[in-house]
Amino acid sequence: MVFTDRSDLYAAVHEDGLNRVMRHIMLQRPSLFNYATPFFAQNPDLLCVPIKAAPEVFAAGNPLFTVQSPLPVLGAAQPVGLNYCVQFTDVQLDFHDSDTIKLPPELGELPPQRFALRLKGCFGLGCLPDDYYTDLIPLEELFAVAQAGKERFSFTHVAERQPRDPIVPPARRLTCFCLELFAVLHFEWGKIGTDDYLKVRLDGLEIVDLQPVEMENIIECYAEAVLRLGVLPRLSIKIEKMVLDITALLRQQGIAVGQQISLQPAPVPAAVPNNPAVEDDQLKVFVNLVVTP
Amino acid sequence: MAHLTVAVSEATFIRSFDLLKRNFVFQDSDLQDHGVFTLGYDVKMHLEGGTVDLRADNTVQIKELDIRWDRLKVIIGLDIPEICVGGGCINMPWPIPDICLPRICIFSGDPDVSISPDFASFVAQEISFTGSLDARYFDASLPLPSPDPCVPLRVVPLTTNNQWQIFLDPQTMDIDLFDFPDIVGNLIENALTSAITALIPGGWVRDLILAIIGGIADLIRAILDIPDDIDEWLSDVFNVSFGLLDFIGTLVLDFFASCNPIYRIDDPFEILPAASGLIPVRIPIRNLSVRADDLEMVVRADVGA
Repeated sequence: MVFTDRSDLYAAVHEDGLNRVMRHIMLQRPSLFNYATPFFAQNPDLLCVPIKAAPEVFAAGNPLFTVQSPLPVLGAAQPVGLNYCVQFTDVQLDFHDSDTIKLPPELGELPPQRFALRLKGCFGLGCLPDDYYTDLIPLEELFAVAQAGKERFSFTHVAERQPRDPIVPPARRLTCFCLELFAVLHFEWGKIGTDDYLKVRLDGLEIVDLQPVEMENIIECYAEAVLRLGVLPRLSIKIEKMVLDITALLRQQGIAVGQQISLQPAPVPAAVPNNPAVEDDQLKVFVNLVVTP
Repeated sequence: MAHLTVAVSEATFIRSFDLLKRNFVFQDSDLQDHGVFTLGYDVKMHLEGGTVDLRADNTVQIKELDIRWDRLKVIIGLDIPEICVGGGCINMPWPIPDICLPRICIFSGDPDVSISPDFASFVAQEISFTGSLDARYFDASLPLPSPDPCVPLRVVPLTTNNQWQIFLDPQTMDIDLFDFPDIVGNLIENALTSAITALIPGGWVRDLILAIIGGIADLIRAILDIPDDIDEWLSDVFNVSFGLLDFIGTLVLDFFASCNPIYRIDDPFEILPAASGLIPVRIPIRNLSVRADDLEMVVRADVGA
């Protein structure tokens, strides 16, 4: 079997390898997958899912989660925030054409040249116990009355919160729920600036068994925005980093190259039917070496 | 199935080899004072010709790679002890001024005599060798042999990381310390070119004759190179370097190559750099292997658990 009969360079990664890479990232950069208010730094046992991290993370004092501001209580005259956490676990990828991930009926069968993503997202909120209300209500009443009659207060318009630090009552326990998210995605080549990058694009997304349907749609809408705008743009990989950075290789050997060496995707369909190709449970890329004087 | 597969075609190897040849320049100079003698060198070389071939038996063959010297100067200086004559004065009675003889010194410099012949025109080497690709694991925690024979041979300093290292392990080698076909060919070509240029200053007739001279010089080079080609062919067939020099060359290159991998991959391998105080994300690399056939070179590896 010849790999380079249609291009100068060829690189492939099997889904098992990529899933292992994903597990290493989750263990070594847990803050990419866990988001919580500062309260949980001292109370990690209250999180919805215990965070597993590599010993090096603890040794370096790295954060286990990305710190988020408390969830604001709308309308409170004295700002009050609630502790919460969002955690992503069980991330798994499945390249066409195996069926490691069973997609929900809404997404159908995994089409050719596509890959499936499954992950679990857990949300936890630190609800206020009754005794906190006993303490907080008089305080809020005081602030509300103090603001009464001021220009910025009216019964038809709630003034913007003052830039005061919110009161964040400590949570005694979290109320958690977890959702399973499925997505169908594909890879494509594209430019960022003048360089070629391998990019990930979203084709479809589904959160299963959530009622009412409108709530499911809203959560899917937000998850799609997070994936498309927040996560996937960060996963773009420069072509040289994928295959072989020949310029860097020569530089390491102390050889300065006068010519411009670049890697370009092999053309579709002139050279290869699909590039990148997602098939045989692998992501395959076909690349040509271009040397210009 | 391996988790990661990277393949490089033979055509890419050939283009990379040409790129390397076009851009590789080695130059160095040194001058050391050893009292009476001053010794030094000033050299500059580049690579020309040669072919690279991936072969079905997991070997890479480089044939007839020429080392061309742009400068091959040997500097020899001699510091002769200073000899001075004169300089004394004869005191004369007043009012006649004193008569002073001029002081003349010779061999005051250092060095006093220096020669720096340039052998670049008279020397050319040609190298052919065959090497097999081999992937080995370097465990940085294991003690190095004492004494470490690689110390004077390492081009890149020893790493403190564990690494997968790919070596080109020489099997046969052919070195022509004096590449007579090229030296003779070059001398004939240069002499005839000078003569023709003097006779015919310019024009297409001169260009045509120069082209013919170049062809004749190439033919002379090819004819003179036949015995060496036979030697290289025999080396290739029997997988043994013929000739004492080639045998020694293979041993030296073998030793040098075993200390200098052609490619290194850190284990664990960094996939996300350290950022904002966060540790880098590294993945363990397992079961790295490299294999060449006559079409491509393939590197395979697994991601560790």
